Amino acid sequence: MQASSLQNCNVMNGDGNATEGRSSAFVVSARKRKLQQITRTAGESTLFLIAAFVAVIVLFIFYFVARDAVPFFEIRGFREFFTDTRWYPADEPPVFGALSIIYGSLMVTVGSALIAIPMGVAAAICLSDVLPFSVRQYVKPVIEMLAAIPSVAFGFFALVIFAPMLQNHGGSILMWSWWIMATPLILLMIVVGAELVSSRIEDDRRRKVAQRVLLVVMGALALLILILVGFRLRSIEIMTGTNALNVSIILSFMALPTIVSVAEDALQAVGRDLREGSYALGATRAETIIKTILPAASSGILAGVILGIMRALGETMVVWMASGNSAHIPEPWYNYLDSVRTLTATIAGDMGEADQVTGSARFHVLFAMGLLLLVISFVSNFISERIVVRQRKILSGQ
Amino acid sequence: MTASAEATASKTVSVRDIYLPPERKKVAGGGVPHVSAKNFSIYYGEFEAVKKVSADIPSKYVTAIIGPSGCGKSTFLRSINRMNDLIPNSHTTGSLMFDGQDVYSKFTDEVLLRKKIGMVFQKPNPFPKSIFDNIAYGPRLHGIRDRKTLADIVEKSLRKAALWDEVCDRLDKNALGMSGGQQQRLCFARTLAVEPEILLLDEPTSALDPRATAKIEDLIQELRGSYTIMIVTHNMQQASRVSDNTMFFYEGTLVEFAPTAQLFTNPKNSMTEDYITGRFS
Amino acid sequence: MNLGTRKLLDRSFTALGISSIVIMGLMLLVVLVPIVSNGIGAIVFKSTIEHRKMLYHEFNRGDKADLQREIASSDASRKEIYRMLDTFDAELSKMDETRQQEYREKFEQVKNSLRALLGPIPGDEEPALARLKYGQTRWEKAEEKLHELLFEKKWDYSNPDEMAKEYEVSRSASFEGTSLVRLFPYVEKNIDRLLQPEWTFYWGFITDSSVDAHFFGGIWPEIQGTLFLAVGAMLFAFPLGVIGAIYFTEYARDGFLTSLLRSANSTLAGVPSIVFGLFGLTFFINTLKVSESKSVLAGSLTLAIMILPTIIRSSEEAILAVPKTYKEASLGLGSTKWNTIIKVILPAALPGILTGGVLSLGRAAGETAPIIFTAAVSVGSAIGLADVLSSPTPALSWNIYNLASEHEAAAEIRHVQYGMVLALMTIVTLLNMSAIVLRARISKKLKG
Repeated sequence: MQASSLQNCNVMNGDGNATEGRSSAFVVSARKRKLQQITRTAGESTLFLIAAFVAVIVLFIFYFVARDAVPFFEIRGFREFFTDTRWYPADEPPVFGALSIIYGSLMVTVGSALIAIPMGVAAAICLSDVLPFSVRQYVKPVIEMLAAIPSVAFGFFALVIFAPMLQNHGGSILMWSWWIMATPLILLMIVVGAELVSSRIEDDRRRKVAQRVLLVVMGALALLILILVGFRLRSIEIMTGTNALNVSIILSFMALPTIVSVAEDALQAVGRDLREGSYALGATRAETIIKTILPAASSGILAGVILGIMRALGETMVVWMASGNSAHIPEPWYNYLDSVRTLTATIAGDMGEADQVTGSARFHVLFAMGLLLLVISFVSNFISERIVVRQRKILSGQ
Repeated sequence: MTASAEATASKTVSVRDIYLPPERKKVAGGGVPHVSAKNFSIYYGEFEAVKKVSADIPSKYVTAIIGPSGCGKSTFLRSINRMNDLIPNSHTTGSLMFDGQDVYSKFTDEVLLRKKIGMVFQKPNPFPKSIFDNIAYGPRLHGIRDRKTLADIVEKSLRKAALWDEVCDRLDKNALGMSGGQQQRLCFARTLAVEPEILLLDEPTSALDPRATAKIEDLIQELRGSYTIMIVTHNMQQASRVSDNTMFFYEGTLVEFAPTAQLFTNPKNSMTEDYITGRFS
Repeated sequence: MNLGTRKLLDRSFTALGISSIVIMGLMLLVVLVPIVSNGIGAIVFKSTIEHRKMLYHEFNRGDKADLQREIASSDASRKEIYRMLDTFDAELSKMDETRQQEYREKFEQVKNSLRALLGPIPGDEEPALARLKYGQTRWEKAEEKLHELLFEKKWDYSNPDEMAKEYEVSRSASFEGTSLVRLFPYVEKNIDRLLQPEWTFYWGFITDSSVDAHFFGGIWPEIQGTLFLAVGAMLFAFPLGVIGAIYFTEYARDGFLTSLLRSANSTLAGVPSIVFGLFGLTFFINTLKVSESKSVLAGSLTLAIMILPTIIRSSEEAILAVPKTYKEASLGLGSTKWNTIIKVILPAALPGILTGGVLSLGRAAGETAPIIFTAAVSVGSAIGLADVLSSPTPALSWNIYNLASEHEAAAEIRHVQYGMVLALMTIVTLLNMSAIVLRARISKKLKG
């Protein structure tokens, strides 16, 4: 206290005067000192109150959304909302089964995660460890641009450009993307597989022969698989372009910037020491990254992934515009080419039709969905925060 | 002053000029140079960090590298196992030979090179893994999968690093839980586990307390004779304690390279004398 | 694994990373290119005489004498068409019952196509909707309509196992043997004279209000609404955010309370945007009753809450980036803590703080979900500054959704939708770029 109060009073004389023996000028009367303290405390509490405003808002959001969600559960109970797949809020009697809608949210979230996580982590690694600084300068704005595009613009793209494309040329799009993505992966698997299997053979010449035979056999097999699956994909007719696949792809690109930037921060935080330690033992770059850097940064990356996925789950406009908005569980359950409906889109779309004045179940069920989203986001935020704290502890060796 | 430094540098300091303690003559294999630099320069972009160094580093001896901060001693050390490749825009001229082969040739595989030339860094940098996994990291990279063999290697390396007795009962614990000195010895053990021929030590004790430093110095004494060791240090007492020969760098130039005893007692170059008597640092 | 395999894996690993970045770049291009190219088409396009008529009548723009000359020359060619229609009408009444019925329907189709292409036929009642008063104002649309006039669309249901296929039948073939058959080649041949297309730079797209639910006119009310909402949100969020950041960086002691506040901040940042909308509806409108129903004020408040965590975080970073020595020097000279913050720390952190603020402004401008229930209406004119407390407003983001998904003729006004998307993205991009410029400018100035 004493030390900090010195900062606040005006020291008028230099050190030299203080040694003269008379009472120094930095000692002020008790009253003045008290006044100063009161002013400071008051000022600090005002600042604190303003900073605490955020916490108050969070409480308010929970309270007010819950306040309007509770009447729904009072009227209809929990069972129907979580277990029924039928969503007929306008019928007489109405059915408020949200299971198919929750499933729809889950489906597009998982779909976008499947695309965004590998791509995002790969891109983050590339940014932090592979690309030279001069190239990175141009890549970062691309990611920032991707993050800055408003969600409604993505939704518009999905609805007006991407959906007709999928509907009219869906089969060939699927085929080509399969070929482009699978060919390098399969090639790699063949080469590594042949290498691994043949490395058990001791004799040098026999190993080389075995390796070649394996390459040819597996190559032929892979070519067959590539072509067959490709043509199978091309024969698929997509009935509607506004489907779960469309939305998953678009959402994954919206989640990517978050994943990339958080994961890159986590990778950078691992530091040069560990990288050098690994390189000095004769590890290649891939080995260094996979065996040392990724495990060390895993929690930070996980936190980024959670944040990115939350962005996909909470996104409204894209799913509202381009998911087809049909509240049913696709048949079969993994059919991404079917239309789905999500929680966010239901809230946005049904509010206009819900009778706001009478406080009907139809109005309150939307708040119940909002509460569900809120709870999910709260829990995942909590988890990602814990994870970050844990990583910091691990890296500092506690 | 600079002119005289350059004059010294341009002349190759050969291993034959260097004092070889008689009891080491047989281990040294007659003092065949293990690493030899000829007009070797390292550039960061335009900046020449190491200037036309020529020197032969004898096999199985401890060579200390001293000099003021920023004199290029670390850069020179890190160029031997090509760790400088990690720094963008760096390139080299002249030649650096290891075991008679050019380190910077097009055909050099830095992975194999680094397997033969191990390195211990200034700050202990164990991986955030268990002690066992830390030491098994290198052998696993180079294709050893068998658990029994790995366990043998781990024990042998830890024993060499004088760490076995302290950690043998907690090999599965996270390495970051150890003390700084133990961590640094773990890094030694980790490096020894890939069976290198040369150990590069980049100020290995600068982050440690005196007691841990003493242990590391003991360790270097233990390893002396089995490995070619090059140690960069700020601490001249340390250099005189642990090394057989000493190189003095100043502003990127190799000023003097001589047997340690000679360099510290009777330096040929006036700059060396100024430095070791503490007139600048 | 031998060394060769390890190297191969290393290289393919690198390739994997690079390819994912390339895919991201390509995706950005795939999204941006059609939006930019089509969006520009909302402003720069080949307009027809109908566009000039519309501008003259609805916005009183253009030269009357010029327009009349153009109309005269166009009407000269149109007269011939209407004469043909009259001739055929007379011919039709002379036919026997069954043929008359068969042709009557087709004739109506032809007349409707002509109305869509050229506007009302003389003798029609004056239509109420502006979209029916004029023919096609845009040349590429006119070409589409011309095609519809020349060819009739039909569906082939012959194969019951598959979806029906579309095919086209030439209309002149179906009027074979009547006088109307001359009409089609005539229109096709004289279409240039009928519509008089010329390249136009239509600035009004940005500054005009819309006419008849965006069939004609511009998007000014939406742009203005977006700006009102975003700036309004900033007015609330910026001071609060900066003060909060000052507290967190300079006053907060490490402890339970501070970490609680911090996690409240990150929780708020993670709340889905649609939930903000729900909260705005139930809190600001239904509970606090800041306005009767939707209003710019309610929307701004909701957006303010949404961008608050971002502003706090970026301001915090900016303040933390100020070198400690500045602060120590100021305190060492006997300045009070508060004075140090105001006179030394904040000015030094200003570029960072402003950059964060401008970026948040962009985010507020682009967001849709929070304003659906609190501020946005689909149709409306620009509101005055005095009305922001009580009136809702159209906004770019909401109207993009509305025009693309809920407009009764969404496919007819694609150019407006593209134009709006481009306008929104331009606003957001301009804000982002000005943030960068601002940062560079101010930090240069501070360095002296």
